[in-house]
Amino acid sequence: MIGRIGIRPNFWLFPVSLIVILGLASVSPAGLPGAHVAAARPPVQLSSFDIASAVPRPVEETTALSVQRDYAHAWQSLISALESNRADLLNEDFTGGARQQWAEAISLQQRNRLSRRIEDHGHHVRVTFYSPDGSAMEATDTADFDIQYYEGTRILFSEHVRTRYLVLLTPGENSWKLRILQEVPAS
Amino acid sequence: MFPLRRSLILGIVCATVLTCAAQVRVPATVQAGSGTTVQASGSGSTMLYLFGPGGALKREVQRGNIEISGQELKVAGRYTVIVDGDSASFFVTAAPLQKIAFVAHPSRVPAAASRAVQGSAFLFDGFQNLVLTPIPVTFRLAVEGDNGEERRTSSRDGVAWVQLNSGRRSGPAHFVVTSGAIQVRRIVQQVAADPCSIRMSALRAPDGNILVETAPVQDCSGNAVPDGTIVTFTSVDAAGRSAVDARIKRGIARAELPASRSATLSVAAGVVLGNEIHWGGGQ
Repeated sequence: MIGRIGIRPNFWLFPVSLIVILGLASVSPAGLPGAHVAAARPPVQLSSFDIASAVPRPVEETTALSVQRDYAHAWQSLISALESNRADLLNEDFTGGARQQWAEAISLQQRNRLSRRIEDHGHHVRVTFYSPDGSAMEATDTADFDIQYYEGTRILFSEHVRTRYLVLLTPGENSWKLRILQEVPAS
Repeated sequence: MFPLRRSLILGIVCATVLTCAAQVRVPATVQAGSGTTVQASGSGSTMLYLFGPGGALKREVQRGNIEISGQELKVAGRYTVIVDGDSASFFVTAAPLQKIAFVAHPSRVPAAASRAVQGSAFLFDGFQNLVLTPIPVTFRLAVEGDNGEERRTSSRDGVAWVQLNSGRRSGPAHFVVTSGAIQVRRIVQQVAADPCSIRMSALRAPDGNILVETAPVQDCSGNAVPDGTIVTFTSVDAAGRSAVDARIKRGIARAELPASRSATLSVAAGVVLGNEIHWGGGQ
């Protein structure tokens, strides 16, 4: 009996299945815990990375390339972490206060069944300080985002923001890590 | 009569079918760790959501004045409040300076070296937020009992930095950064620089060898060059060239060169050459 039911073509089920599949596909990723599509997103782009005004030490070209790569990756991690509520995604790119504060934010999101989906439209980064011993780099980042705030699968609010961050990066073993990521009012 | 009926109908529709937007008002900025009040128009209970860099809050509240505690606003940055589909944003700014993270470099530096000591100070409040308002910061580098060097500057975006000359005296220098009541100290060991000049004298040893000895070896500021610094004594005579490396011990280097009737003796430490002695032909 079971075999027959499994083999018998139930044509009336196809439209229903199609609707279900399309419906699932249109559901926001935040509605599918653990199945977020952040990995499928285009990588975060730095629209510009200006090292001309770095003081007191100029930023070497190779260092600039590393920082660009690592900073963009850090944003990628943060966006994925906030969307999928996985603080462990921060471990590779964040350290110190930044890791602690965002991990706490993610923990509270998870506890309250909340999430944030951020669509990144690019960053304009300007390095303002590079310490003489090379142990810290500060930059400002003007970024454009579309942010959707979710409770479960329900969108609570969407907004487009152009925002400015103050960033402090320090070199880790193999990469630059974000130590401070502080959003500041636009000057 | 009609407006009342319309309000009643609207109220029933709002309550049953639609989510009626409440108008949300927030202050533009709030100091980290201080609470604030969110104003949501209307009455009755609703759900408040707060998204920020340090948290995500969901709470059933009564419309009107809604209190957000300082504990929930510790991290500086932009916070978005959502009530009934309406939202407002505000910034949490850093609280007053509480802590300075001070990076001094290097830990050991030659005396009287130009712009050789660097310090970077990162100014934080009590919640690990960078204090972004410009704050006067003073850096001071001095060996005890010495005037040392002091530089006043102002922080920018939470950072202040300095490059100072090392002092003329060797010894542990206190590198101190001060801002308001907060002071952080690091020790930078100032050591004698390269020898300034080396004076050598020579004597004949009982076995005929040549005993050579330096006067106390000092840098150009008069600091004794550290013990262990290598001094090379060289003798050139008809038989060839002999060189002996000796370490400075208690400020003086000594060595014994092979006996010779006539030789030219020289002394050097690093790139610094000392005096020459013509041995045997009259010194």
